[in-house]
Amino acid sequence: MIRIRWVLELTRLILEIIGADMSTCTRRVKVVLYEKGVDFVIKPIDWATGEHKSEAHLSKQPFGQIPVLEDDGFILFESRAIGRYIAAKYADQGTKLLPNPEDLRAVALLEQAACIEQSDFEPNVGGIAMEKVFNPFKGIATDEARFKKHVETFGTKLDGYERILSKQKYLAGDELTVVDLWHLPHGEIAEKYAPEVFEAHPKFNAWWQSLKNRSSWIKANEKGNLL
Amino acid sequence: MVLIIIGHPVSTCTRRVKTALYEKGVEFNLQVIDWPGGEHRTEAHLQKQPFGQVPVLIEEDGFILYESRAIGRYIAAKYANQGTKLLPDPSDLKAVALFEQAASVELADFDPPASGLAYEKIIKPRTGLTTDEKRVQTLNQTLNSKLDGYERILSKHKYLAGEELTLVDLFHLPYAATTELLAPELYESHPKVHAWYKELKERPSWKKANEGL
Repeated sequence: MIRIRWVLELTRLILEIIGADMSTCTRRVKVVLYEKGVDFVIKPIDWATGEHKSEAHLSKQPFGQIPVLEDDGFILFESRAIGRYIAAKYADQGTKLLPNPEDLRAVALLEQAACIEQSDFEPNVGGIAMEKVFNPFKGIATDEARFKKHVETFGTKLDGYERILSKQKYLAGDELTVVDLWHLPHGEIAEKYAPEVFEAHPKFNAWWQSLKNRSSWIKANEKGNLL
Repeated sequence: MVLIIIGHPVSTCTRRVKTALYEKGVEFNLQVIDWPGGEHRTEAHLQKQPFGQVPVLIEEDGFILYESRAIGRYIAAKYANQGTKLLPDPSDLKAVALFEQAASVELADFDPPASGLAYEKIIKPRTGLTTDEKRVQTLNQTLNSKLDGYERILSKHKYLAGEELTLVDLFHLPYAATTELLAPELYESHPKVHAWYKELKERPSWKKANEGL
């Protein structure tokens, strides 16, 4: 098996993800890869020496970020775009994560959910993660007032989620999609620092717990997370 | 019965949808929401849009869709065979992936600092709140550094997802316009971005979406 894998890597038939096992955005990609049963290798980036700011990296990812997918010469960045590509390319294997592309309304409802995740959920959980994890990691003190504001806004947004998840099982309808999975990396951090907000929204919390317990997410966190 | 858009003429997100509808030549009726009267917070509205926002699309058979970018995508797909081509061919997985990459960049990298600046310098004064000048400085710095990334992208190809215009370029217009107003020096220091924006803002669809404002 190891020899075959080595050959696959050498011949670039195995997907490469430039990233970091513990990074939230890398794990957002890993969870999709595990759901679809797609083999991949993580190519670590040397953050300490500023490799993410090197010309070599910037020519692949112009914002100096990770993850970046390399699929036999095709380069793609943005964890959600990578997840969508994997889900579409491997549509016929693993968990179904996208609606049928011909069903325009199902696609529209997926896109509605995707916007909600990126516009309504992410800024607040991302903000909580910034104040409580990323800034302290960089030696910047938590701004407690900003943290409180993020938690407050997060609670308001979850009122919207509660309405949606009282009508249907997942965010885009009654079937799981990639969008549900995207909530996991920063949502996990928000749950650690603002658990009361989760508890105050029972339908949301039930949906959340079911996602957290998926084996793909547990596996994505195997090499560590930021909690 | 034509398509209904619940929204407001001045709303950035409503204008984002109007631009897409004009590009595709799709007729619609704008049902103006009573924002000062708090209509967006009524149960009737929350049933349609659970976050109390606009715009909302309502089709003839009662299909409801919200989030301006989702509405734009739906219109572009449903009316793929008329008006301007705004989406890649769905069977071209790599073209679709590059479109999604650009779409994610707009939401993750451009919208937060650009809309943040608009909130601090336009919305807050209008609603009697005080601009946080320190936050404005941070947002300016963030937007400047993000535009460095955009400059790299637009030095390689004409539009954000490749050589052809897509919906994602148009998604930028509302806050690209406020950025021109609030931080024009950011365009001066990013010539490719500036050229891309200058061309987009001349599109008749955008001009029409802003008529009367």
